[in-house]
Amino acid sequence: MIYLDNAATSFPKPKRVYERMDRFLREEAANPGRSGHRLSVGAESQIAQARNVIAKLFGVEHPERVIFTLNCTDSLNIAIKGVLREGDHAITTVLEHNSVLRPLHSLEANGKITLTKLRPNSDGFIHPNDVKAVMGPKTKLVAMTHASNVTGIVQPIREIGKLVRETESLFLVDAAQTAGVIPIHVESDFIDLLAFPGHKALYGPPGTGALCVGERAKLFPWREGGTGFDSESLLQPIRFPFALEGGTPNSVGIVGLKEGVEFILEEGMDKIRAHEQGLVKQLRSELKEIPSIRIYGTQDVSRSVAPVSFTVEGAEPQEVSLILDQSFDIASRAGLHCAPLMHRELKTFPQGTIRLSPGYFNTAGEIQTAVRAIREIRSQIAV
Amino acid sequence: MTDISRYHRQCLFQKIGEEGQKKIASSRITIVGCGALGTVLASTLVRAGVGFVRIVDRDFIELNNLQRQVIFSEEDIRDNLPKAVAAAKQLKKINSEVQIEAVVSDVNFTNVEKLIRDVNLVLDGTDNFETRFLLNDACVKLGKPWIYSAVVGCHGLTLSIVPGKTPCLRCVFESAPPPELTPTCDTAGIIAPASTVIASLAATEALKFLSGNEGDLNPTLYSYDVWTRETKSFHLEGLRDATDCPTCRHQRFEYLSGNLAPKTTTLCGRNAVQITRPDRITLDFKELESRLKKVGEVKSNSFMLQATTGGYEFTVFPDGRAIIKGTNDPAQAKVIYSKYIGV
Repeated sequence: MIYLDNAATSFPKPKRVYERMDRFLREEAANPGRSGHRLSVGAESQIAQARNVIAKLFGVEHPERVIFTLNCTDSLNIAIKGVLREGDHAITTVLEHNSVLRPLHSLEANGKITLTKLRPNSDGFIHPNDVKAVMGPKTKLVAMTHASNVTGIVQPIREIGKLVRETESLFLVDAAQTAGVIPIHVESDFIDLLAFPGHKALYGPPGTGALCVGERAKLFPWREGGTGFDSESLLQPIRFPFALEGGTPNSVGIVGLKEGVEFILEEGMDKIRAHEQGLVKQLRSELKEIPSIRIYGTQDVSRSVAPVSFTVEGAEPQEVSLILDQSFDIASRAGLHCAPLMHRELKTFPQGTIRLSPGYFNTAGEIQTAVRAIREIRSQIAV
Repeated sequence: MTDISRYHRQCLFQKIGEEGQKKIASSRITIVGCGALGTVLASTLVRAGVGFVRIVDRDFIELNNLQRQVIFSEEDIRDNLPKAVAAAKQLKKINSEVQIEAVVSDVNFTNVEKLIRDVNLVLDGTDNFETRFLLNDACVKLGKPWIYSAVVGCHGLTLSIVPGKTPCLRCVFESAPPPELTPTCDTAGIIAPASTVIASLAATEALKFLSGNEGDLNPTLYSYDVWTRETKSFHLEGLRDATDCPTCRHQRFEYLSGNLAPKTTTLCGRNAVQITRPDRITLDFKELESRLKKVGEVKSNSFMLQATTGGYEFTVFPDGRAIIKGTNDPAQAKVIYSKYIGV
């Protein structure tokens, strides 16, 4: 199997992730911070170390402001629903995944907030001036993706963050496709809320994610519950991370995530990024050679991350993807990729595109095999 | 109060008598599927005075059903009635003493036990192997006797199954045959006498069982061709002990677990559903193509087969996966799949 669906979740994971999770679950997985025994204290310390290593990766000054979540969707919901209140205005973009669009739209549909959705320019970028133009006194939140999960185009978040920082608004970045591949620094990038999954380019297991909460952000918790201390109080403690982390955490997943992040730090993000960029470049340029294939996104791979979307004239994306799977043993993803507005923008709605997303463990040979397969499929089924 | 006189002729038949009639009247049955077989089963057994009849079917009546599905009318189509409801409505007119329950639903691993738990006998009016194996699992698990029937073209099969006593369906058929070897009424056609005869034989088995004549149940897998009049009786003595049946020997109810049910995924914004089979098969496109060519347009290459028929368009892949276009409803897509591709 050639796995080219790393934008959905990375696979495989570094070996140390599997090994650490296995050992933790067998030998150390007591309920962290709940009881005073050694095992519980040890588990809590592992989770604290995971917070530390993530804080280090993203320049978070206070590691306790790294909140562990279920996945990026969970992080985004905690941020969006924790920040926005009746009468607020929010700004987002048409590039977003449904994990941003749906929470915002439901707040808008319920009459709670007003919402502005920005479109990219013809090159696929959101222009900072466009953001500035629609900001008003009621604008509480600017929520946007760092890179589209369809085109992979990386957005100028630092420029946008900077101008948001000059106002009372908060800047929420969905780093689902970039965390682990592109350096992000919450301070230098002016990010108030950074949401990301643990299971994509951070190499943690599915069921992990995090939200880094800057000090300007005042969030209402939407999940309240046990924290292991302050039990006499009937209200959620305001202390981080407990303010937003009620309930027993996914400790096994979190130690796996920690291992994944450590893998990145040891390997070097530059090296990982360079390898992926090389594969994306190869994939894009080889696909370009095939007639009647249309590739989306940018040819400038320095401004793009892994997802490469394309369509084959005369063929349904879903069918091509199924053929890749069963006749060539290649894992891809077809359809709307949970980003309906992006596909409307690309004029690929509703059939969507075929998406190949290489990861650090893919090789140039695998990309070559995939391109050969697509060439063969096209010659048989396209008109 | 029951007026026994309406069953006078049935009571005169000495194997039944008044005693047998009383037993029939106090019996409860479930008929799964109300098409060519189910309508005859329901009509016969409601007329015969079975106390409670539950009719389960998720489909609506189509014009091409009327040729063989007795009791339905053009009016039912105009009223857009589900089969189960139309059957109940009609049969209540024929015998108001029978309690009839119409259930408009597909039968699946989540509801099958509930649908048969409170009855004495289950009758098969389904059109696919997957549902039959599911019924078999549920009946063996709950110890409910059931009568298998199947018809296509001019030919049909029936078998009476009493869990714990006779071989079960999986003793006889270890697994479903591959789809390209499974003709369905929608690809191979069917003539009404075939379903009428087989359903009548199955209904006779039901009357035997319900009237207290369990010993008279036919012990064979009986096959009948109404066109050639060729009959075959497959003797099954000793089969139950000879096979290593997962269902009745090992009590492993694989269909009831839901793990063998095909998986469906609605494709976002596409008005299409993808179906993935739980089993690993390799389809013979040539065979499938020749079968589907009779009912619609078909084209294929080594990667996939595309067919258009009955307002649906579907693409089938070599391992049996398929994309059904023209519906967002997973249950409807499964119906199309079993009709044209087969399970």
